[in-house]
Amino acid sequence: MNLAVDSPWLLWGLLLNGLPLLNQGMRLHDQPWLTLLPVDRLSQALSLLLKLVAMLVITSLILGLAGLHRREQSRERIGKGAHIVLLLDRSNSMDDSFAGRTPEGREESKSSAARRLLTEFVQHRQADRIGVAAYSTAPLFVMPLTENKTAVEAAIAATATPALAYTHVAKGLGMALSFFQDQPLTGSRSIVLVSDGAAAIDKDDELKLRAWFQQHQVRLYWLFLRTANSPGIYDVAQDARDDNAQAMPERYLHQFFSSLKTPYQAYEAESPDALKKAIADINELENQPLHYVERLPRQDLSGVCYVLATVYLGLLLAVKFLEVKKC
Amino acid sequence: MIIHPVLRDYRSIFLLVALLAMLGLFIKPVSQQYARQYNFTFVVDITRSMNATDYKMADQAVSRLEFVKHQLRALLPHLPCSTKIGLGVFTERRSSLLFEPVEICNSYTELDTAISKLDWRMAWAADSNIAKGLFNTLAMLQKSHSTVVFITDGQEAPPVNPSYLPDFAAMKGKVKGLIVGTGGLQAVPIPKFDAQGNASGFYQADDVPHRSSFGQSNLDPSQIEGYDARNAPFGSKAVVGTEHLSALQESYLTQLAHQAGLNYTRLTDLEPLQQALQIPEFSTQQLAPVDVRGYFAAVALLMFCCIYLPPLSSVWHWFRLKKTKDNVYVD
Repeated sequence: MNLAVDSPWLLWGLLLNGLPLLNQGMRLHDQPWLTLLPVDRLSQALSLLLKLVAMLVITSLILGLAGLHRREQSRERIGKGAHIVLLLDRSNSMDDSFAGRTPEGREESKSSAARRLLTEFVQHRQADRIGVAAYSTAPLFVMPLTENKTAVEAAIAATATPALAYTHVAKGLGMALSFFQDQPLTGSRSIVLVSDGAAAIDKDDELKLRAWFQQHQVRLYWLFLRTANSPGIYDVAQDARDDNAQAMPERYLHQFFSSLKTPYQAYEAESPDALKKAIADINELENQPLHYVERLPRQDLSGVCYVLATVYLGLLLAVKFLEVKKC
Repeated sequence: MIIHPVLRDYRSIFLLVALLAMLGLFIKPVSQQYARQYNFTFVVDITRSMNATDYKMADQAVSRLEFVKHQLRALLPHLPCSTKIGLGVFTERRSSLLFEPVEICNSYTELDTAISKLDWRMAWAADSNIAKGLFNTLAMLQKSHSTVVFITDGQEAPPVNPSYLPDFAAMKGKVKGLIVGTGGLQAVPIPKFDAQGNASGFYQADDVPHRSSFGQSNLDPSQIEGYDARNAPFGSKAVVGTEHLSALQESYLTQLAHQAGLNYTRLTDLEPLQQALQIPEFSTQQLAPVDVRGYFAAVALLMFCCIYLPPLSSVWHWFRLKKTKDNVYVD
């Protein structure tokens, strides 16, 4: 049951339970000679019952005062949802608009559009466990996989602060994949990579990432926030000499992702609307049966104690009206 | 006026009052009261010098960063439930906010995990310019109403040129905060790691610059050996110093704290840290629902217990009896 109280010292008050045992708590009538009265089992039982009720009143009041509660618990449930890690690009260029300029007037920067839409996305995904990682030159662990949507939103909101340095996507992916270590394999697992650029991944990292994606069974969604007139992920090199990972990192990163053994989907968004569509699409796709652990927050039981105390008090008051009055 | 015979018994009255108190409890379980609330953003230095091991936990030498993480995690349960905590990391010349403040009680596990995952490998660049980093952090958080808790050892790498310190005058008074100095006062070597993250000895004197060579020298040119205004404004002599060793730069940090209008404390144990954080200056008075059921319940309990005390009348009766007996005796 996991019961606990906030102020254990108040439990000393339970000693007050001795009072009803020592005293009758009702009007006593003088009798000339008690031995004259026959033994009445019913009266004895009733008197005992009244004492018991009185003790229940005291006990529930004390427990209520001490703050009886059930500790936080977790319960396994099955729902529709996924384990999703949001991997956010914190490189400088994310603070530009989709047109590749510093946002002015009513323009929205890529990061703020992503922030707004991801927050909406998170609010819609009630059963999911969502984690957040970010990366620029180095990966940043931000928020573990959690059911706590407020915490995830706080992490997404923090990307409003200025972005960092460059893009090192391999390390970021490694960090995002590490979220799935020691997690039960249930429902779908996915990484939503939100970035506006790509970087070459070296062969060592490619091998590792390939193995990890397969080992952890993680799907990948790449929300590529394309800046106008910049290379896209489907572009083909005009010149054979440019056809390499350094010159066209987007294309090569896309090819690498496509070669993963786990499902992969790329979305190229050139405007906030396109981004919105992509997120809606992911929302649709990620609805598989999921075993998840629901966290039941701490439950306050002092209210129950007070209700019980009131009921017993009422009972005693009612009994009071049945008391025999000697005129 | 006819009083119901039941009410002639004081016990009934007490019982009734107790019941009324309980009714009051259900009618007004909470009252809006001003309560102190805290909102902290911990910004942790994750530069290399934080790997220096000059703290001890359970007879094991641990790095400054490990100790900071341990203390912060231990601190969480000791702060009031409504306290909000955000987390950021500092390296290079700026800090990055990982998440905005969230309430401790609602997000305890998340906070605890996020703090435990802080790592020097998160650093996106390897320099460490505390003054600029602090300035940047304050500027970033000045609109957030959060108290900045900047946790650092004060080790600048490379050493800064004092002529190029940021001017904190603009920031003074805008942000409340605390600088928490970490590390020992004895200089210790800084561990070095290879690309795979394995420890590979310590930084040697040859590995690091020992003086600033940025911008214009603040020294008198005639005093500098091998001075050349364009090619060698700091002179040509190689400077050997102790910058490869790191100790808590307490005087530097107190000076920074003074300039920026922040408090300073040194990280030693949980209690001093808690005391430094929970000061009225850092709290805001906010209307918050406060559970007042306890008062009603206490009244009900008091009333109810009085019923079971030996009744006054019987005490009085006993007293009178004794008196009359005495009288009889006298007569």
